[in-house]
Amino acid sequence: MKPRVAFFDFASCEGCQLQVANLEETLLDVLALVDVASFREVMKEHSDDYDIAFIEGSIARPLDEERLKRIRERAKVLIAFGACAHLGGVQRLGNRWSPEENKRVVYEEADPRDIGDTNPFFEQPRHRAVEEVVPVDCVIPGCPVNRDEFARVLVALLTGKKPSIPNYPVCVECKKKENVCLFTVGKVCMGPVTRAGCGAACPTFGSECEACRGYISHPHEQAQTDVLVKYGLTPDEILSRKTLFTSRYLEGGRPA
Amino acid sequence: MKVLSKHDFHTFVRALIRDSGMEVEGVKAKGGKFAFGPLESTEELRLDYDTTLLPVKKYFLPQYETMMKFDLANPFAMQQPDFPARKILLGVHPYDIVALRQMDSYFLDTETLGAFMKRRKNTLIVGSDVLTVSSKAFFGCMGTGEVHSGYDLFLTDLGERVAVELGTEEGARLLRYAANLREATPVDVQKVKALRSASAATAMRGLKVKPQGWHDLLGKNFDSPVWKEQADKCLACGSCTLVCPTCFCYDVQDDINLDLRTGERGRTWDGCLLRQFTQVGSGEIFREDIVDRYRHRFHRKGEYLPDRLGFVACVGCGRCALQCIADTADPVQMLNKLFDASPHLVEESVMDPHTVRTNLREIASSEEILPLHLPQPGTVTRVERMTDRETLFTIEMESEMPLGHQPGQFVEVSLFGTGEAPISVCSAPGAIAFELLVRRVGDVTTRLHALKAGDLVGIRGPFGRGFDITALGGKNLVFIGGGLGIAPMRSLVNHVLGHRADFGEVSILYGCKEPRELLFREEVAGWAKRGDIRHKKTVDRCPQDTPWDGEVGVVTKLIPQVPFDPSDVTAIVVGPPIMYRFVLAELLKLGVSEHRIIVSLERRMKCGVGTCGHCQMHGVYVCQEGPVFNYTEIKDLPEAFT
Repeated sequence: MKPRVAFFDFASCEGCQLQVANLEETLLDVLALVDVASFREVMKEHSDDYDIAFIEGSIARPLDEERLKRIRERAKVLIAFGACAHLGGVQRLGNRWSPEENKRVVYEEADPRDIGDTNPFFEQPRHRAVEEVVPVDCVIPGCPVNRDEFARVLVALLTGKKPSIPNYPVCVECKKKENVCLFTVGKVCMGPVTRAGCGAACPTFGSECEACRGYISHPHEQAQTDVLVKYGLTPDEILSRKTLFTSRYLEGGRPA
Repeated sequence: MKVLSKHDFHTFVRALIRDSGMEVEGVKAKGGKFAFGPLESTEELRLDYDTTLLPVKKYFLPQYETMMKFDLANPFAMQQPDFPARKILLGVHPYDIVALRQMDSYFLDTETLGAFMKRRKNTLIVGSDVLTVSSKAFFGCMGTGEVHSGYDLFLTDLGERVAVELGTEEGARLLRYAANLREATPVDVQKVKALRSASAATAMRGLKVKPQGWHDLLGKNFDSPVWKEQADKCLACGSCTLVCPTCFCYDVQDDINLDLRTGERGRTWDGCLLRQFTQVGSGEIFREDIVDRYRHRFHRKGEYLPDRLGFVACVGCGRCALQCIADTADPVQMLNKLFDASPHLVEESVMDPHTVRTNLREIASSEEILPLHLPQPGTVTRVERMTDRETLFTIEMESEMPLGHQPGQFVEVSLFGTGEAPISVCSAPGAIAFELLVRRVGDVTTRLHALKAGDLVGIRGPFGRGFDITALGGKNLVFIGGGLGIAPMRSLVNHVLGHRADFGEVSILYGCKEPRELLFREEVAGWAKRGDIRHKKTVDRCPQDTPWDGEVGVVTKLIPQVPFDPSDVTAIVVGPPIMYRFVLAELLKLGVSEHRIIVSLERRMKCGVGTCGHCQMHGVYVCQEGPVFNYTEIKDLPEAFT
């Protein structure tokens, strides 16, 4: 019997699920390996009978936490799928300010009666990574996830291997691709501390790495900061590079 | 020397591209920098380049390379990859030609890489003088700005004319695509000479220590505080090693395709600056601190490879310095700082820093080279679960021949689609079957644990240097083993017990953490019953109600319990790193002389044949010179017992 997989979206854009929907020529290969129990991006049917749960999105509201815990109970394998699930996503930036302040800034012009304290849709909850709420068996990082990596992790799970994601920096992939280093053409990049596995997707096309895959396990953060200073970034600019996807680290987290 | 007019040169290149039947790769512009790539027109060729992003090593040891493809149902019917058509590399700078010759020496002398050899023999090198010197190049002071061999043709772009020198007959045959080739005039020759001296003079950068002196400078300054200072800036991103023309380390990885039936084993570049480079299956990392990795890179280039192969493995291309955004990889900067911090008279060795003795043409043709990365089939004939974590496997090679190992050697055990793991042979030599004790730590060992009698595994080896049975003959022996160290040790113990009369007094001390972790339980019980050896065993701790007839405490506690004459005993010590520190100190304190202590070390033996770089400990390749060492050989190596 084929393992049953399910995709669940929490606070996210669902772009990582779209990466799977867009597998194109390998999608049929994947469907030959697994049955899909739930996958909102591509089908209406839903079943609570699944083995592998892909969790997309950060965990924010109390009801999200409950839902996630229920999924964890049902799934044999639970995967944090994409940067939001892995790190808390860009939305985690909001954790730097109080919920009240966030609410004031975001809904400044709204009628207070509409966004009152009791209306759950206007809550400004703290965003957390999946791993901060339930145990996670494996992480597929990235914004969005890399399709090849998704396939590799799936194969590893189905063949009883421990899925491994690279633990070396994006620089390694840039060098292997013989990319021109962005630092040498007047740009700056988080590649030296960021976990590879994306095939240096952004730098290859001239865009600076924003660390969407999180840091390698032992980044030399001080050296990276020194480099950013040397290349002319102000403290604010450095902070913004270090918080776009990776504020979880600044909050003291040491994600896998 | 010949010359072509610029016009005729372009016609020549066009003809090479169109008519030679070979793939022509040349230097082209890439995003404001330069890179070798397929040449589609002569106009793309940029002989005025300063340096390319990557050196030409990418053509011989590619960034990614499929080593073999297999079907999991029948993996030994594996397919080896086809090799591409013949290539011409157009515009290789002299320093890169020197680096390529070093690569020959590294791979061809060890005769391990059939693929490298095939590509090397399949590729013509057309060199080119350096017209523009990069801001970080220092080939002038490395003596690599000019070459007199290592190319098939060599070009010097003189503006209106291009000078052409012949290197080989094959190179000469390329010239049939050239029209109006004339003898160079004395003026042309003079111009070429002037251009060479000018570029060499530009590429100096004030390096204070000649390559001949690097060995001495590095050797005497291993503990200099400058290393830490420089390493504090280092991102450990690996860029310096990846872009280096003389860094050849690689990793090997298995992949299974989405059909779950087929897969491949591939090789990719690795680098010693990356943290997991030295990491073994159990998780241990042997160069954990960035400073250790940072320093290793320089010592490999200036001390270890010169010792091993006779050349300084740096050609002054300056790529590492150009690409290091932290500005700390530059050899000129590092060596000058080291020199300034400890200005002493640097002894210069007499060697030519770039002599490479390997002669490509003398190497046998590629078909005769054994592809040492190909595993041979072996059948698991017996599986014995020993503890929660360890299982003993008995294996027979399909050839029905003994493995031919010495005690203490190891094999690479291969599971297609998962990978390879180095495992010590734990049985004595001689029998058709051999035994491997496997602890479950990573993917390969976990999968191995699922095997049953009748299953096939791949075996490469035996590799390395084992225990010298002959030299140990007649000696009094004390074996001190800890934890899994009993496995390699057992291969010798069983040999000694099987040839008891050939050896003097024998004591076997064995310690593990808890009684349930005791390995080879029945054999160990047998040791206690033998009258012709002494045996003691201990556990670090013994939980209540666990039956245990040995000592409790660390293994060093057992040493005073067996009487031996320290001046007439050879100690064989195998165990985890922490055990070495205590046991070695104890033995030395008792008066056992250093040269009578023999150890076996664990490192990341990935290839087993001395080329992938992972097991390197200072200048020592543990997979070749070890894993068994005489203590005197490694006692002064800071990394040996960390």
